[in-house]
Amino acid sequence: MHPSDGTLRRSLDEPVAVDATNQAHLATCGRCAARVRRMSADAAAVHTMLVSPEAVVDVATSRARLARREAETAGAQGSQWPARRTWSGNRRTSRVMAGIAVAAAASVVLVATGTAQDFLSIFQPSQVTAVPVTAADVRSLAGLASYGTVTGGSTINFQPEPDAAAAASAAGLGVPVVAALPAGTPAAPKYAIVSGGMVTFTFDATLAGAAATRAGGQLPAMPAGLDGSTLSVSIQPAVVVSYGVDPATLLQGGAGVPSGPAFILVATRTPTVTSTGVTARQLEDYLLSVPGIPAEVASEIRAVGNPAVTLPVPIPIDLASGSSVIINGARGLLIGDSTGLGSAVVWQHNGVVDAIAGTLTVNEVLGVARSTH
Amino acid sequence: MAVPSALQTVGRHLLTDIPRPTPEVGVRPTSFDRLFAEEYARVTAIARRVLGDPAAAEDVAQEVFLDLHRRFGENPGAKAPAWARTAAAHLALNVIRSNRRRAGREERYAIEPSLAHDPQAAVEAAETGRAVRAALARIPRRQATVLALRYSGLSYAEMASALGIRVNAVGTRLRRAEARLRKEVGDASV
Repeated sequence: MHPSDGTLRRSLDEPVAVDATNQAHLATCGRCAARVRRMSADAAAVHTMLVSPEAVVDVATSRARLARREAETAGAQGSQWPARRTWSGNRRTSRVMAGIAVAAAASVVLVATGTAQDFLSIFQPSQVTAVPVTAADVRSLAGLASYGTVTGGSTINFQPEPDAAAAASAAGLGVPVVAALPAGTPAAPKYAIVSGGMVTFTFDATLAGAAATRAGGQLPAMPAGLDGSTLSVSIQPAVVVSYGVDPATLLQGGAGVPSGPAFILVATRTPTVTSTGVTARQLEDYLLSVPGIPAEVASEIRAVGNPAVTLPVPIPIDLASGSSVIINGARGLLIGDSTGLGSAVVWQHNGVVDAIAGTLTVNEVLGVARSTH
Repeated sequence: MAVPSALQTVGRHLLTDIPRPTPEVGVRPTSFDRLFAEEYARVTAIARRVLGDPAAAEDVAQEVFLDLHRRFGENPGAKAPAWARTAAAHLALNVIRSNRRRAGREERYAIEPSLAHDPQAAVEAAETGRAVRAALARIPRRQATVLALRYSGLSYAEMASALGIRVNAVGTRLRRAEARLRKEVGDASV
């Protein structure tokens, strides 16, 4: 049975929403492929008709304008509703902003520090997969910091660079070039470098015991050599290429609200890892068994498979969804922001981790990723 | 340890490093304030899709929030964003159907700034813009509305909420709307 027009149309914009049965059908049905082509042509034509140059909306100014109008109307109508106070603050809480910030923070963190810490046990992953987590899970997992001492990696230092050549020179890494930009995206990118550094985690049995007690349980039997074992990660500098948004300002809570497509591209070399005491896998297994770690999350992480080749990427299920994709021959992870306002993709190739995130549809972010070289 | 450590790291950033509303000394933001901050750009973008004119789109967005505040007060509730989005599309469609003075305004905008150096291209762009607005005014309102919402970047779930229909029905309506608009504009020999 052929999928409906509605299903086919949605597959163009939200491919991850199409179920496996329909995906399998679309992969083999010539008739449906022709239908999709017609729909895609119509959608492209309409896009051309309706899309016009985007203007950045100054929300604070607009809010002040509305307040003035309300005050005037209230006066004219005998104070039908109270005159509103003037808008003195510059609020930066639009969902667009939050969408970018979530994606940007996640991507930068994954590449600049998050993956570095993943690499404590992973070393040379060649693919990525999603591990769904909830906000409650995240809060539980955050308690792991009390099982030892983490040094470094707590800040992200951006250094703006004037152009691609300067960024390449500073990072010691080729700067990715995007060949196909979504319509409406500013053509001139900004460049920055995220500095490298060292992150260490030293397991502390005394701290861990206290944390387990607070969580209402006891520590499981500890492998020999675990107490005091240290893992160190050398993080490589990352190149950040941004279109339509300033990532440094964004992560500091500033910047205006981009009303058009905007995204950042981050690339970094695989960090290097050294360890003392137990192996990283032993440490991971142990921490997944301590009190306070949600059993479902531990199970999901264990189910990822061999961590030597697969990078688990946590996906907050109340904010986003993840699916596996292929980017220029490399397996990657597509992350769709559930608000529909943003998406991201992370993939690895030839010892480099690339991530793209922004206010793009999943199709747009895939198009950008596949045009990157 | 590695995987939880990454979860912890991402969680820390998700929960604490995302820009939050900046506290304003002595003034507590209301739900309406937050709604305005969160939705104004989106509502303006929806009107812009229909009108093609940023100034006219801002006018529509102002009217939408003025009406929203009047109807729902300081605590507009969870359904207000969907209401505002649909209202923006409807009000913008009303504008192109009733305001004949828009033509000149749109033409002025159309020749700024990228086409100002090419008068022929500017004239063609203005004609195309007028034909598209005229076609949007001719097609059924619900089709024009779904186009405005989709090409402003709303997800299918958001469109379903704004239109009061099932998510599965959004694609069907969008497909019909795109085919209809393309036919209308094509029939107008643009």
